[in-house]
Amino acid sequence: MAGEQKTYYTIDPEGRLKCCKCGVPLVKANAVFGYLDNAFPVELPVCPVCGFVYVPEELAMGKVLSVEKVLEDK
Amino acid sequence: MDFTERSTRVYRTKQLFTKEELAAREGLCVHEEPPFCSAACPLKLDVREFVRLCAAGDFTAARAMLERITPFARVLAAGCSAPCAAACRLNEVGEGIDIAALERAAMRYGAPKSGRGMLRFRKKKRAAVLGAELFTLSAAAEFAQKSYPTEFYVPQADAADLVRACAPFLSEEDCAAEAARLKAMDLKVHYGAQITRELYESCRQSADILCLSRGAAKALEPAAEPDEVTLLCEALGALVRPAGEEDVLTALTDARRAGVSADRIAQGMDPATLRGEEGAVTSRLYTDLSGVAPSRRKTAGHALPTAEEAQSEAARCVQCSCTECLKACPYLRHYAKSPRLLTREIYNNAGIIMGDHMMNKALNSCALCGQCSVVCPNGFDMAEICRRARENMVDTGKMSLAVHEFALYDQIFSNTEALLARSQPGFERSEWVFFPGCQAGAVAPEAVERAYSDLCGRLPGGVGIFLGCCGAVAKWSGRTELWEETRALLANELAKLGDPVVIAACPTCAGVLKEAGIPKVRGLWEVLLEIGLPDTAPQEGARVTLHDACGARGDHALQQAVRKILHGLGCEVTESELSGDKTPCCGYGGLVSCANPKMAKEFAQSIAQSAQGLPVVSYCMACRDRIAREGVKSLHLLELLYGADAGSPPGLSEKRRNRLKLKERLLKEKWGEDLAKRPLGFGLTLTEEARALMEERMILDTDVIAVMQHYHDTGEAVEDLDGGLLVTRMRLGNVTFWAKFTEDAQGYTVHRVYSHRMTVETR
Ligand code: SF4
Ligand code: SF4
Ligand code: SF4
Ligand SMILES: [Zn+2]
Repeated sequence: MAGEQKTYYTIDPEGRLKCCKCGVPLVKANAVFGYLDNAFPVELPVCPVCGFVYVPEELAMGKVLSVEKVLEDK
Repeated sequence: MDFTERSTRVYRTKQLFTKEELAAREGLCVHEEPPFCSAACPLKLDVREFVRLCAAGDFTAARAMLERITPFARVLAAGCSAPCAAACRLNEVGEGIDIAALERAAMRYGAPKSGRGMLRFRKKKRAAVLGAELFTLSAAAEFAQKSYPTEFYVPQADAADLVRACAPFLSEEDCAAEAARLKAMDLKVHYGAQITRELYESCRQSADILCLSRGAAKALEPAAEPDEVTLLCEALGALVRPAGEEDVLTALTDARRAGVSADRIAQGMDPATLRGEEGAVTSRLYTDLSGVAPSRRKTAGHALPTAEEAQSEAARCVQCSCTECLKACPYLRHYAKSPRLLTREIYNNAGIIMGDHMMNKALNSCALCGQCSVVCPNGFDMAEICRRARENMVDTGKMSLAVHEFALYDQIFSNTEALLARSQPGFERSEWVFFPGCQAGAVAPEAVERAYSDLCGRLPGGVGIFLGCCGAVAKWSGRTELWEETRALLANELAKLGDPVVIAACPTCAGVLKEAGIPKVRGLWEVLLEIGLPDTAPQEGARVTLHDACGARGDHALQQAVRKILHGLGCEVTESELSGDKTPCCGYGGLVSCANPKMAKEFAQSIAQSAQGLPVVSYCMACRDRIAREGVKSLHLLELLYGADAGSPPGLSEKRRNRLKLKERLLKEKWGEDLAKRPLGFGLTLTEEARALMEERMILDTDVIAVMQHYHDTGEAVEDLDGGLLVTRMRLGNVTFWAKFTEDAQGYTVHRVYSHRMTVETR
């Protein structure tokens, strides 16, 4: 399953997200979800300064949760 | 103990049962056994289905069933001796179903099969049939239907003559119909033939399959007899019906046997091989007739009933089957599978090395409550199978931690932070120790405290307290390592108290403690009966429905003690339909509420629905809690006895807080100790919305506090300029928790929470 890039999330290009600590807008960056020894590359909003990765609620409770459930029965 | 996530890249399996163990278990369930009527039919008519179709008025489909089992269904209908009707279970409570009459009705009122049959290629091997009798007529038709080119030699002049000679009991109408049927068959009939030795010899040369009427066989070789099973008469090289019964059903059944032999002979095989099950069988099916009122036949002794009579006669059929466990258990009803089938699927599931374990959810949704082994006539024990399957899956790394993690950490919380094991103040050692169980402290702490004070005041020798978990969570989740650890902890703590008699308030705890090897365990209710109810016990009573705990299954002394206490409180007890040993689980057992909350709800709902509008009294705190969630007044006997109604059921975080507070209160009041509490360094408010999400997503307030503490310490958060909310997160164990919040002079207000188990890293 690892390797192929899946669109889990499309980032709002307008930069409406801001890192509180660093005071800069989050940017689109490559990240990897990992679970039970499986890896899923994904693009997520990340702070370019401190590296805070933001996982939005819709993503966590939607796609991420359903992939978790599938893997849990493996 | 901590739990780390497994890897799906480890490929290991362990056989759940040996073939013999599996067979022994599967064999107990008779759900798939044929009904008594069908078992008695040598032609293997699915009588139950046939009768069902008649009851539905679908005589056409019923007729088609008859035409499938024999080439001449009218002959069958007119002449069948109906052993099925004799075997019908309704004979035990009145009159059995008049199945013979239904057969005739189906042939009369059902439409014949429309459309042409499948185009079939004729086979190479040829068949010859000599002599006229019902057996040969029917065998010739069987061979023809199997597409063997068949020559049939009979002395009669034409088809009607032949049918009349073979089935003289047929009406003129039926006779004509069967003659027409015969003519339509792909069968070459030589009318007016002399059945001579010459004809026999020539057919023996030309045909691969030879079949003789008994009369013809006797004329050729008076002493020769066929094999009872294959009907092959070696001396004649021909299929012949054996001596004995001459009734219609036997003739048609023998023709069917001849058909099987013909196939084997055509394949060049010994006709005795691979025959499958033939003829009537005995069924092991169980069917409960206790609720069936005696009734009489609606066919009024008519050989051919009217369509209405036939339909109402068929409607008396109770469609025999065994569903005892399914009727009682919401889990089995939900999956709508017999335990036999479920067991096979769970067994196969354990054997899957790579790929989806489709039965994981199912084997984690059984309450392990043991009700099935009581209601099943053969004691089928689904709990043992599901529990062993869980252990197997944990052992081979195929059981997801996510399924039970919340409960596992709850047990660990109970046995660490919330643990309290002390002797009564003023006593070095304890004669007794009160063990209320984790749920009692979580749901009704006040009642626990009063009960403890009462016991301290009235039992001699010192009554210690043990607030903790018995280890049921470890056992139910199949985590043997944690179970062993819990056993050791229990033994160790009890030893420090001087190995007192454990007074367990919860029947499940009592059972689990005994399993853990704790030697002296007694139920609270029996102890209370011995020393008498407390003076403060209310007397006014009420009308209540009693729900027995599944943990009390088989413990009749306990079940009786509870009833006596309720009686002593002046309560008028209504027994629910499934009481005593047959009681269902509330959905807490087996960690169903953790693994499959929807399923757990079905358990609780079925109890609430059977409460007959009365308050439900139970003596397991998990039952009390789960029944209350179904909108029914629910009380634990402790609350009743000590006048401490705990009110509406607590949320997940409150359950933990209640246990901690109980420990703190007892420590303060009994031992004068204060648990130093570190105040939060910030104000924290949880909105209604946040609280609801926490329940739904199984997030505790301690999790939220940790997330906010982390923000407080680091300032790490994202501001969503659209929603005006700040979002922060923290990874705790195997889960990342997120909080959406606002911040002002009073501190933080958390609006929403969520979580995920996946880790996330930047590349
Ligand atoms: S009660 Fe259930 S397990 Fe027992 S024989 Fe009947 S269907 Fe099978
Ligand atoms: S009641 Fe119906 S299913 Fe049961 S034995 Fe009689 S005919 Fe068969
Ligand atoms: S929930 Fe109880 S009655 Fe139902 S299958 Fe499981 S152990 Fe048997
Ligand atoms: Zn930053």
